[in-house]
Amino acid sequence: MAAHVEKKSLFTLNKDIPAYPFIILGLILLAIGGIAVLQVLLKGHEAVYGVTREVPWGLLIATYAYFVITSTGLAFIGGLGHAFGYEKYAKMSRRIVVMAFVILLAGFTQIGMEIGHPIRLMIYLILSPNLRAPIVWMGVFYSIELVILAIELYMVFNPDKVSHSASAVVGFFALLVGTVATSNLGYVFGSLNARPFYHGIYFSTFLVISGITAGAAMLMLIHNIVYKGRIPSDLEDSMTALGKLMGLGIGLMIFLYFWKIMSSLYTEPKGAYEAVLAMLKGPLSVNFWIGEVGLAVVLPLLIIVFTKARNMKALGFAGFIYMIGLFFTRFDFIVAGQLPPMRAGYEGSGVHTTISGLAHYSPSAGEWMIFALGWGVFLFLYFAAEKYLNLETEHH
Amino acid sequence: MSKKRYAIVLDTKKCLNCKACTVACKFENGVPVGDETYRIWVTALPLQGEYPNLHQEYQPSQCQHCENTPCASVCPTHATYKTEEGVVLVDYDKCILCKACMTACPYDARFVSEHHKAVEKCTMCYHRLGEGREPACVETCPTKVRVFGDLNDPNSKVSKLLASRGFYQLKPDRNTRPRLFYLK
Repeated sequence: MAAHVEKKSLFTLNKDIPAYPFIILGLILLAIGGIAVLQVLLKGHEAVYGVTREVPWGLLIATYAYFVITSTGLAFIGGLGHAFGYEKYAKMSRRIVVMAFVILLAGFTQIGMEIGHPIRLMIYLILSPNLRAPIVWMGVFYSIELVILAIELYMVFNPDKVSHSASAVVGFFALLVGTVATSNLGYVFGSLNARPFYHGIYFSTFLVISGITAGAAMLMLIHNIVYKGRIPSDLEDSMTALGKLMGLGIGLMIFLYFWKIMSSLYTEPKGAYEAVLAMLKGPLSVNFWIGEVGLAVVLPLLIIVFTKARNMKALGFAGFIYMIGLFFTRFDFIVAGQLPPMRAGYEGSGVHTTISGLAHYSPSAGEWMIFALGWGVFLFLYFAAEKYLNLETEHH
Repeated sequence: MSKKRYAIVLDTKKCLNCKACTVACKFENGVPVGDETYRIWVTALPLQGEYPNLHQEYQPSQCQHCENTPCASVCPTHATYKTEEGVVLVDYDKCILCKACMTACPYDARFVSEHHKAVEKCTMCYHRLGEGREPACVETCPTKVRVFGDLNDPNSKVSKLLASRGFYQLKPDRNTRPRLFYLK
């Protein structure tokens, strides 16, 4: 255990951290998102968003999943540090907790703008919750996660006032609730009678694994930005450990991907089969092969394997391209399951399908602007924290 | 006490595709004009047979008022609920527009209503039923494709039709147990 203890105040101005460009970018994205929020408030969701009767869940559900699952992945890694004594991750605990908290807020902006009546949701979740509905539990678990992360924030910034055991217990619950929340998110989709692509245990597992991988990727990327590619020597082992965790995560993703696709092709379950074909050779094939397979699996895995997770800049790059690829993974996951229509698009049916018989969905400008809002929240808040707070974890 | 269990039996062979049912529904329920805003529809099924012996069938449809309701199961606020007569309704004031019910419905029977700021669907014209009136689509159909009634009453038209004729339900593999029955 490191013995080095140097107390710094919580608030500081970190001159060396190149935060301003990201803060400014965050503000620009917030402004773009703000315009879309106004449009939604003035014109209504239906006028601004590109979702349809056939594909009711679109980009914003995908980005919600993208952000909140990354947050729970970060909470999982933080929990490994606090609760299970993985010192290599504990050395990054302030950044982990701040990032997890901020990225969860970014996710909430997406679901907040997606749901037509978010305030009503909070009221009726208390007055008349349907305990059979997985969405209720999603709300419960992510709310608890936010509270736990807030407690962890207090703890990591006030280590003198917190015992190791308290920190371990809270870290464990962050890990546990994060895993439950994310696997329950898989159940939210799996519980949709009409969408066989989402059924089964696959997505509950896949979302957790890919979320932990995303947490590792974000930490490797952010550390490279903060330290301008020159990672301090005492963090190199932590970065390598994250790289290996990410490599393991991608390996498991390949395993899950492969068998999900094979079983769907083999048995041709109605609805799921068409969804898989939409990804393999249909309208989502570019997303799938270049985004999902290329950027989220092959390239980052090759980088990690060939550098043995010891080249810090390469790890940052691997994290960067993984996070781009993961966006396609989340988008395809949401959209593919809804492309097989519930009714054939015959005359009079009212169903709009393409020549391939699938429903069509393409995000609107307004949806992309709300996506920008999420990134704006993350970049602005996180890099403001980097600039004005001391995020170097004090060894304890 | 025996409760009513409302159902609709459809004899699609009688359907002319006149669309009177869809117009009546729009008028009765104030359903907005629009490509995606409709409670009921009439699908022209593909031509069958070989020239010159061709024939075509139409399939009127709507919310199936399922006994096993996937829409109500996933609704987080109980906005979608089933009445004691088995009619599936939406409480517009409780709907948060999460659209889970739309993604869960195997019949694509729901849409977002700008008018109600909520998810909307067929109500079997529930507001008429207490007065002893039939749903607008049933009342207006010129060839009486649709028959509305109480499954719990063995003397109702629907019970007699189902007892005397073969029938099928849509998407039985979804295990939703619809209350719309199509005569063979």
